[in-house]
Amino acid sequence: MSIFTWFDERLELKKFKAKFLVKTFPTHPTFLLGELALFSFITLVATGVFLGFLYEPSTKMVSLFGAMVPAAYASVVKIDILPLGMIIRRIHHWSAMLMIAAVLTHLMRIYFTSAYRKPREINWLIGLCLLGTAMVAAFTGYLLPYSQFSVTATSIAYYVSKSVPWIGDWVSRLLFAGEFPSDGTVPRFFFMHVMLIPATLIGLISLHLLIIVKQKHTEPRSNRNRKEAEGGRRLIGIPIWPEQGVISLSFYLFLLFVVVLMATYIPLNPIETYGPPSPGTPVMRPDWYFLPVYGFLKLIPGDLSFTFLGGKITPETIGGVIFPGLLFLAAALMPFLDRWKEPQHYIANPLQRPFMTSLGVGAGVFICMTAVAGYIDVLHITPNRMTAYAILATLAAWGVTYTLLRRYSRKRGTDV
Amino acid sequence: MVDGIDGDKREKAGITRRRFTLGVIIASVAGAFGSLFALLKVLSPEKKGGGYVTTIQPGDKLVYAKGGNMGAPLRASSLNVGDAVLAFPAGKSSNPANLVQVIKLQETEFKPPMHLNLTDRGFVAYSAICTHLGCTVSWVKNQQAPAASYTECFCHNSIFDPSRGAKVMGGPAPIPLAQIGVKVADDGTLVFTSDFTGPIGPQVG
Repeated sequence: MSIFTWFDERLELKKFKAKFLVKTFPTHPTFLLGELALFSFITLVATGVFLGFLYEPSTKMVSLFGAMVPAAYASVVKIDILPLGMIIRRIHHWSAMLMIAAVLTHLMRIYFTSAYRKPREINWLIGLCLLGTAMVAAFTGYLLPYSQFSVTATSIAYYVSKSVPWIGDWVSRLLFAGEFPSDGTVPRFFFMHVMLIPATLIGLISLHLLIIVKQKHTEPRSNRNRKEAEGGRRLIGIPIWPEQGVISLSFYLFLLFVVVLMATYIPLNPIETYGPPSPGTPVMRPDWYFLPVYGFLKLIPGDLSFTFLGGKITPETIGGVIFPGLLFLAAALMPFLDRWKEPQHYIANPLQRPFMTSLGVGAGVFICMTAVAGYIDVLHITPNRMTAYAILATLAAWGVTYTLLRRYSRKRGTDV
Repeated sequence: MVDGIDGDKREKAGITRRRFTLGVIIASVAGAFGSLFALLKVLSPEKKGGGYVTTIQPGDKLVYAKGGNMGAPLRASSLNVGDAVLAFPAGKSSNPANLVQVIKLQETEFKPPMHLNLTDRGFVAYSAICTHLGCTVSWVKNQQAPAASYTECFCHNSIFDPSRGAKVMGGPAPIPLAQIGVKVADDGTLVFTSDFTGPIGPQVG
């Protein structure tokens, strides 16, 4: 009796295989981005376990090479000294960037091919929650090495959350365990980073995947013609295992190779350069996915504050909370603006959807311009001029895309 | 059968098993979550006197806040026109609210709303905590024209004019950095002579 038979008699593996592993996965080059995010998350968990074994979530002062530094900082320096320790830490950091990049490109793919349409609105919303949670995961990770960079970045977030009218004072004390920096902040962020947020991510990812299994993947439009010719109704594609699984796995292994290569040769968050917390703030920028918020905070004039329903709305609230909040809200509303009576199971051609595509291009250009605004100090552009550039670029991108696509779809027909 | 009869009797009395169970569930959930609200209070501790509260007293000596001479007294002779350093009051460096930027400029450059009575021989000091989001400000020195040097917060590029009472010249900072009085003592060291002229630290909440 083989081992497989032993397990099969108890767990009915054959039945499971017949039911789930042969599920059809439609093929299209852009259908791998979500999986890439999932695999990056697995890399993050694996490297995170290694780091978690060695990290010390405490700000009490300890001696490190004769200098008194916070214990958290000392433990990360010790990780960096371990054989391969620094590489593991960089793989963790690169994978975080890769995961957010994958989620964002996955989101763009879904948006521009209109795969969010009925009946997939729920999964679109869960996807947005995943993006938000992944960014919070990355942010809570910033503080943990407790370098000058960590403390500055977290301090900014603390004052942004504190600036929120009505609830800001309480929310900031809840998130940061009192006034930042307090002795409780690092343990609380550590718990959120290694437990609360990963658990939330696992829950959301599971829900996301279950809904895909239930609703089935959207299909390329070429499948529609093929089905009409063949008269079939079933999804056309390849089975999850082994075909799709092997493709995904080899794709992931290739990316893991790229990540390890980058981790080996490109320094990332060198905490020894920033040093432990000290007076003085050097020029520092957040990782790229926070650049839009960072840039937007630079653009808002300092005197732009007003009172609304008894709460004071400050520039910090507008830049750090309202701006990203509105972006997420706008994205969340998309499936409800683009409403359909019948369920849509084929992806759309973005070139034949002038309105939605130009809206997405405009939003994308606007977000990129706010990210560029993070560099106004090196570009020597004043905030007001940068704001004008951002608005002009957004309107131009929107208008040009719309005009061109209207012309294109007049010839080829719109895909509505 | 017996249950059914029982149920009918209770229904006449105005309560069914279903309604009773529902009532118990609602009461339990409400009670449990109601109690949890107390936890939220515990999880968001209020530190007394939190935020930036300075402990600088007039007469405190200024010492270097960083670098090789950290903790050493700041001497008037060590700064040339157009120079600036970060300083703490001696023995009080653990409180970040005490961090100040001491700047040496030409006295003739000083213009309102600068408090001239709080300066001495071209020395002026401001809180070094940016009023935007609390980063430490830096000194951008102009080698050719020392008078054109300025204070900038590198976090979001707020710019302050040191000869005009740290007036906001650009960027998102809502208010100027607060000035604090300094003078050159007889032994050539710098000492504080007053409290801050205004609020310090991020102006949020």
